[in-house]
Amino acid sequence: MDKVKEYKKENNPFRLFADHLNAIGTGIKYIVKPQRITLKYPEESLTLPTGYRGMIRLYKDVCIGCTLCALICPADAMKMVTEGGKKFPTINYGRCVFCGFCVDVCPVDALKETRVHDAVFTNRRDLVFRPDRFNQDFDQPVPSQAVVKKVRVVIDEKKGIKYVPDE
Amino acid sequence: MVDILFALRYYFFYPSFFAVIIFPGLIFTTIILLLTIWFERKVAARVQMRVGPLYVSKRTGGILQLIADAIRLVFSEIIIPVGVNPTLYVLAPVFVIAFTFIPMTLIPFSAIPKTGSLLSPYFNIFYDYEIGKGVFVGYFVPYNMVLILGLASIVPIFILLQAWATNNRFAIVGAVREALLAVSYDVLLVMSIAAVAIEYHTLDIAKVVESGIPGIVANPLAAIVFLVGMLMGTGKFPFEIVEAESELVVGPSTEYSGFLFVLAMGGGYISTFALSFVFSDVFLGGWLPFTGLPGALWNAIKAILVLWFTVFLRSVYGRYRIDQALRGSWKYMLPVAFASLVLGLVVGWLWIR
Repeated sequence: MDKVKEYKKENNPFRLFADHLNAIGTGIKYIVKPQRITLKYPEESLTLPTGYRGMIRLYKDVCIGCTLCALICPADAMKMVTEGGKKFPTINYGRCVFCGFCVDVCPVDALKETRVHDAVFTNRRDLVFRPDRFNQDFDQPVPSQAVVKKVRVVIDEKKGIKYVPDE
Repeated sequence: MVDILFALRYYFFYPSFFAVIIFPGLIFTTIILLLTIWFERKVAARVQMRVGPLYVSKRTGGILQLIADAIRLVFSEIIIPVGVNPTLYVLAPVFVIAFTFIPMTLIPFSAIPKTGSLLSPYFNIFYDYEIGKGVFVGYFVPYNMVLILGLASIVPIFILLQAWATNNRFAIVGAVREALLAVSYDVLLVMSIAAVAIEYHTLDIAKVVESGIPGIVANPLAAIVFLVGMLMGTGKFPFEIVEAESELVVGPSTEYSGFLFVLAMGGGYISTFALSFVFSDVFLGGWLPFTGLPGALWNAIKAILVLWFTVFLRSVYGRYRIDQALRGSWKYMLPVAFASLVLGLVVGWLWIR
């Protein structure tokens, strides 16, 4: 059996002391020149990439009412309702886990994932989207007085990530 | 009428009241304690690429957070668990905070000149024959170095009492760690102060300051040993072993809530502040070149810088294990402490008379 390679333990106390000074120096460097990566959310919000699994919308005129989405839904969020003799899905966002199975399984691409995920509801009834409401892009009114800055993530060599203004 | 005003002024600025209760004492310390907690959070956030408390008052960097924290801590409910001795349970944190604060009454904050200062009327009462000036201190003792360290080293006993009284497993484990650490850091503190005492041929902190040579120049080894002992004794990172949050909840004060929790946790900060004053006096030149109240302010600024340096270390270090901390103190710091004693002997013989 091969010998396990062991790293030599640093036992020189002066070296240890220098390492401590180095650590404190690094900390002070960060205090003088902070490299924050916090996204201040209400003022800045991320533009999400295409294919982000956000709120789902329905194209009512494409839907053929095949019930597959309601069958595959693992959280029982999709239910079918009949409207004017035709079946349409409804969604309950209180149950939805945003797995995207319904979008994948739809044979005619009548469901689509939008890039919106930051939504607020004030009561549970609003969480259920009937076909009429489900048929349009999800859009909540933005706060009127706040200026929302849309930003995008880019990989930065020095900081790791940074945000640049979008559009 | 004027006589009454003079009398009021006399008793208001009487060092035993003013130094202990108002300026570097209780009220000032409480404000600094809150500021320090805010600073600790901000500086840790800055190093860890976060922002820290901000939205409470955006323009001032969230400084009102400390007031919100204080109100929340003071007014939350005090819960006394079933099966503890209520008297001991309540008294233990009170003793902790009392004995962390008592050293503050003995630390010389500034010197009092014979004339020309607001404090000059007390020149004769607080006269220190070793320096030929008065000393701005709550209670003047010529051997204050020994007394301060002696009183500060009583605190671990009350932490043990606190853990025992709460009858909690986390608290007991924390108390055992405190007992192990207390032995090692007291040795470091006492030896570094002994080195300084030999070097300056005195046990009076005021004389060390008035000699005009800061201890960090005369004996840098003792300064390092004292700083490490201070970090260990007050549970600051990297020696936050007693209150290891991720292992022991908050160690000996696990069961406490409300105002008793403030008392139990504030003890650590107050003893750090007291030892910061000792560090500032002994090693950083204290109140020089000022005297009187400006000297005390200058001394307090130095002490606050030392205190803030110790809380800044939270953002740099992880936590040592108990065996690593004990090995560090006995294997590495104790020889340095001996070396500082020898250095103190040599320098005290050759240079400082």
